[in-house]
Amino acid sequence: MVDLMLLAPEIIIALTGLIVLTIGIFMGSSSKNILGYIATAGCLAALAMVLGNFSASALMFSDTLSVDPLSQFFKLVFLVVALIVSIASIKYIENNTDTEIFYCLVLFATFGMMFVASANDLMVLFVAFELASIATYALAGFEKKNPRSVEAAMKYLLMGALSAALLLMGISFVYGATGTTSIPGIAQNMDVLTSNAIGLLAIVLLIAGFGFKIALVPFHMWAPDTYQGSPSVVSALLAAGSKKMAFVAAFKVFIIALLALQADWRMAFAILAVITMTYGNVVALSQRSVKRMLAYSSIAQAGYISMAFVVLTPMALTGGILYTLAHGFMKAGAFIAVAAVVYMVIKEKRDTEIPDHLDNFKGLGKKMPITALCLTVFVFALAGIPPTAGYMSKFILFSSTIQSGMVWLAVIAILNSALSLYYYARLVRYMYAMPHEGEKVSEPVPYVAALLISLVGVLAIGLWPEPFVEIAMQAASVLVGGI
Amino acid sequence: MLPVLSLIVLIPLLFSAFAFLTKTREQARVVALMGTLITLILTLYMYFSFDSSSAAMQFEELASWIPSLGINYHLGVDGISMPLILLNAIVIPLLILFTWDDVRSTPNRFYGLILAMQGAVIGVFVSLDFFLFYVFWELTLIPLFFMVNIWGGPNKRHASIKFFIYTHVASLVMLLGIFGLYFAAWDQTGVANMGIAHLMSHFPMIGSGIARDAIFLALLFGFLVKLPIVPFHSWLPDAYAEAPTAGSVLFILLKIAGYGIFRVILPMLPATGTPDMMITILGLLGAVSIVYGAFLALSQKDLKRMVAYSSVSHMGFVALGAAGLVALSISGAMFQQFSHGLIMSIMFMSVGVIQASTGTRVINDLGGLATKMPKLAVIMMLAFMASLGLPGLTGFIAEFMVFTFSYVNVPTFVILALFGVVITAGYHLWAMQRTMFGVYNGKIGEVFDLSNVQTFSMAVIALLVLYFGLNPSPVLDMMITGSNEIVSLMAAMGV
Repeated sequence: MVDLMLLAPEIIIALTGLIVLTIGIFMGSSSKNILGYIATAGCLAALAMVLGNFSASALMFSDTLSVDPLSQFFKLVFLVVALIVSIASIKYIENNTDTEIFYCLVLFATFGMMFVASANDLMVLFVAFELASIATYALAGFEKKNPRSVEAAMKYLLMGALSAALLLMGISFVYGATGTTSIPGIAQNMDVLTSNAIGLLAIVLLIAGFGFKIALVPFHMWAPDTYQGSPSVVSALLAAGSKKMAFVAAFKVFIIALLALQADWRMAFAILAVITMTYGNVVALSQRSVKRMLAYSSIAQAGYISMAFVVLTPMALTGGILYTLAHGFMKAGAFIAVAAVVYMVIKEKRDTEIPDHLDNFKGLGKKMPITALCLTVFVFALAGIPPTAGYMSKFILFSSTIQSGMVWLAVIAILNSALSLYYYARLVRYMYAMPHEGEKVSEPVPYVAALLISLVGVLAIGLWPEPFVEIAMQAASVLVGGI
Repeated sequence: MLPVLSLIVLIPLLFSAFAFLTKTREQARVVALMGTLITLILTLYMYFSFDSSSAAMQFEELASWIPSLGINYHLGVDGISMPLILLNAIVIPLLILFTWDDVRSTPNRFYGLILAMQGAVIGVFVSLDFFLFYVFWELTLIPLFFMVNIWGGPNKRHASIKFFIYTHVASLVMLLGIFGLYFAAWDQTGVANMGIAHLMSHFPMIGSGIARDAIFLALLFGFLVKLPIVPFHSWLPDAYAEAPTAGSVLFILLKIAGYGIFRVILPMLPATGTPDMMITILGLLGAVSIVYGAFLALSQKDLKRMVAYSSVSHMGFVALGAAGLVALSISGAMFQQFSHGLIMSIMFMSVGVIQASTGTRVINDLGGLATKMPKLAVIMMLAFMASLGLPGLTGFIAEFMVFTFSYVNVPTFVILALFGVVITAGYHLWAMQRTMFGVYNGKIGEVFDLSNVQTFSMAVIALLVLYFGLNPSPVLDMMITGSNEIVSLMAAMGV
């Protein structure tokens, strides 16, 4: 007997997507604002359902779906990001005739991500992964008349297709060797893989496949262009949402299914984590486009989170999982703040070639005080300054690295963290200490609302982390069963 | 009982938020003054009900914060922290009075940052949990960064970023040391706990001497950079000199590094793998800072940079006194922190007034200011005399105690450092002579003396320098109690 209540969040999101689409088609373009509110309400309702059933545990549909604290935690991450994006989009998408398509794609992407979080079978995982991916490809190119947006979508689509192929090939190797696609089933047949070169090949392919989506160096090439070219609200969804989808998938595949091969993939993740965080931070230093800078910073942050795969203790996994939620708030918030600035710049018809250029952030503290304050908190959080979510999750993740004796890795991560402060502080300096012209402008309410939600999240995890650490621990306990 | 420690941390932070929300200069400064006065009243209440003869933590507050990681909200004060809280609580309201008539952009941010700084600094002094300690420690960076970056001098961008990165890296190295302590204690007891006392008591039980040395050096590095000590001082002259006057004074009041040395470093020192080497490092760096800092101060053309380098020199006494390892030399080092906070506040305020009035800080362009600015001349003279260690003023007591009592354990370094005293006297007198006395330099043009509020705020600090110089016992007694406690902790760890 399937308890459909446990799938209620997914059902609500899918239905909301369909409702938005249906209503939108029959509505005049002037009254489409309502769609944003419907989408927001859908996210809120789904969020409530997830929180209500947080510690549920069940297998359904012939054990292909598993509802457990891990999946619930990541659904929380995705829904929070979807909520922030939906609210902010109310402003972004106004006066656009395709409002219903935009919201429908955001909701379907979220729907796909939620299924990835619950997948207990590689085929379900792959299909859900692609559902979310295809929706985001379309979103990246949503500004059809903007060549940058089109380029962003093209790069993302081509790279994404390639990574999907690699992923599928990796899955087929695993299936070929073990004769099953069920994640716990693979774990039971792991001895076949350990004694076989196919196991190694599968790992390489799977790391490459997930690495694209996570944007681990050297599979990151699409990310800066895509994050910069996409509409800022979509960049928020990509960096804060779909990247986390790849993380939860990788957690399941590597830590549950392929644990026996950990000697091989731990090493690979160690090397990738170090390269990724260092490369991301170094390149971010020289960026003048804020979205590009955030894209590289996002690459670097993925490097930090990947340390969880290397350390592989319950505490490290807790830290990595908590980091995904923290990063969801910080990064979504930061991109939404950029969206607000870009909105202002375009409205004032200044330098629209690169509307997110650092120069356009001069004097933001005076012009848009709320946006500037929130963005300041987000970038300091990304740098790991207390008392914020970024500090708290780095604290757990880095300290667990020391605990397991990998001091070198912690030192590299900490030095990187210090390096990143340079470009974050520069952004803050532009906002508050640079000479500028122009008067205070009114900040659009939807952006402000989305920013404040992110701000509350960032500060709540920083100041009162206990409940978040608690649920991250529960989520991690699903993974550590076999360790 | 009144949770007075939480209040003296939260009230400045709360008023900081209020100050940010104000619209006019008038409102911002009134809010700031109110917040700091309430903090001062609470601090004085604490000071008068403080038992100087007890080494135990007083006004303790304890609540669970992140139980799964053993992190608590644990506050308390003793003789080591109380004088520093008092220093901050007294000087910051006076600083706000000093800036009363300043016309500057965005006063709401200016006063908001000063209050945020006060909350963060006091937060460091009252934290008994390492996690909380680190949170406040890092929080002090942000107001100072903005202070320098927004209202600083021509080189403000470079100075603010350099300060931020430099001390942040040092803090992160310190954090590594904290992690080391935390997990070592966790392994020994099987229970996570971030309490400072708890972690230190488990430090000697760490198996390998190299691991103990590494942890110790990581923590020491964090504190020495922040103190700062030669050769880790290069961020300081830039930051101090570029900061606006109020920012420089806030830097001066940031006595968290010296505090960290007393609270954490000294009790751990005997249990390190190679205690003799650690004492040598601390004492040598201290002595070198005293001499080298003085030499650098001697060669400065800019009055503010001279004061900044003299600060490097004076902080050497904190390290030297700590290396002395007896209760009275440690008390001397603590008194140096207290005294330095008062003296340097006046010196930076004086430099600020000179710059505002004459438009320059270049020593050679000044001259004969005493005839036109008599009020400033008197107060500044007193600060300079205190700074070079004239008996009867606080600086003398601090230096005297450090020299006399450190001689027992580190005589070589004391002799080395004594040379610094001669140079210190030299640059102070020389600078005074070239700026205040002699023929008035006509090129300066019209100058104005201190305003009434400025006179009041600087005179109060000057009187405190005189008062504690003649009668140090109101703070020295509690410092000695604290130092005795440090020495007995050291003994317990195995000197």
